[in-house]
Amino acid sequence: MGEVELSCLAYVKMYLHGCLFPRCSVNGLLLSSSPAGGAVCVTDCVPLLHSHLPLAPITQLGLTQVDVWCAQTQQRIVGYYQANACVSDNSPTPCALKIADKIAEQCNNAVLLMIDGGKMSPDYRVPPIVMYERKDTRWTLKDKHTIMLRQWEETREIANQLLDSGDHSLLVDFDSHLDDITRDWTNQKLNAKIAELASPANVCTWMSRVEK
Amino acid sequence: MEMRDKLRKWREDNHRNSEQIVDVGEELINEHASKLGDDIWIIYEQVMIAALDCSRDDLAWTCLQELKRQFPGSQRVKRLAGMRLEALEKYEDASKQYDSILQDDPTNTAARKRKISILKAQGKSAEAIRELNEYLEQFVGDQEAWHELSELYINEHDYGKAAFCLEELMMTNPHNHLYCEQYAEVKYTQGGLENLELSRKYFAQALKLNNRNMRALFGLYMSASHIAASPKVNATVKKANVKYATWATNQINRAYQLAGRGTKENKCSVKAVEEMLESITMS
Repeated sequence: MGEVELSCLAYVKMYLHGCLFPRCSVNGLLLSSSPAGGAVCVTDCVPLLHSHLPLAPITQLGLTQVDVWCAQTQQRIVGYYQANACVSDNSPTPCALKIADKIAEQCNNAVLLMIDGGKMSPDYRVPPIVMYERKDTRWTLKDKHTIMLRQWEETREIANQLLDSGDHSLLVDFDSHLDDITRDWTNQKLNAKIAELASPANVCTWMSRVEK
Repeated sequence: MEMRDKLRKWREDNHRNSEQIVDVGEELINEHASKLGDDIWIIYEQVMIAALDCSRDDLAWTCLQELKRQFPGSQRVKRLAGMRLEALEKYEDASKQYDSILQDDPTNTAARKRKISILKAQGKSAEAIRELNEYLEQFVGDQEAWHELSELYINEHDYGKAAFCLEELMMTNPHNHLYCEQYAEVKYTQGGLENLELSRKYFAQALKLNNRNMRALFGLYMSASHIAASPKVNATVKKANVKYATWATNQINRAYQLAGRGTKENKCSVKAVEEMLESITMS
């Protein structure tokens, strides 16, 4: 099928979500601000849950609220991500497939992304992710070469930096929002921090550090 | 000493803030050990467990050695040694450690529960469930175990059995709003009119026990709306549920208005909720 591009912003927040709740399964939605048709560009994500993933009410609530927010901000839900608590098993669970199916009803090249917990490390050479796409009615593994993450090393450095500085705790998922509704699940604050780190000046500093 | 009090509070509240415990605990142990008196042993235990959680085997090892020296042959220390083996993923060795504890003391619940944790870590959910059920036949009052079992059943999508565990917990903890709310979520997930009505009742009960439980409030709104929209209900039931849903909507709006005051941050989430509630009440 088609190509999928994953933005730095989406990847970093997904990754930090997994890091913030290392003993839990976590999941979230992948969003795109590009128009439908052609390659899928995942430009952002919304972290959803870190508890009781298979239960319906909060998942439905999250999907509805994100849907509304997307309509307000010209984005679309184009996929779903999950990281399993048990790092030795990164296959999609039944609830992952269910939610992905639902998304695919509205978006025909939706993607299902599993984060491979066993491969998460500060200096891993390839992104620890596995992607699935829908062929007929089944979710099948996507060819690695059709997945693009531009500037992987810079992206990885941004994630590491946020972990080191403790800023990853700024991340708010939908679950945390329900615990305290003054917290923002659209993560504007964290987005700003990530944008700052991704600016050209910062990129040059890392490249020299990485090369050493 | 402030650090000591912090550690004690975290111990008493059973917080799993391992990075913080390691930070504070390590400093306390390295710099102020002499001033701690007998407290030092329980601190070693607390810091060791936190260290395992943060992959700080160096620190965990140090704590373990101190405890072994002070309490040779202790079952409690043996269990800690087992936990370290688990953290290093040496599950066979850890299991043997716990088996040796159980040989000397077959009623040692901690060792039995660690063995079940190993099954969970290895992804052997069916076995973990079986062992936990056996455990609960003997130790029927163990709340933590009932809750753990409910979580395992939820992950296996066995909602009927998860509900049963939560019913046990609600019986013994009638004032705990979280159990009510989780039970309601399970019922909602099971679906069907009867389960939806039950879920609505228990979301309402959770709210009675804690009127700031947002999950319960949203749950009440969603379950009542679905019941009202069902073709199988008569006009009276429909009317009642529309009333519940409307009440919930107002409460949600109020909560979000209060939350949205002053902070620019969450304007997006506030707007999203407003629109969602509007769109559903119109349909």
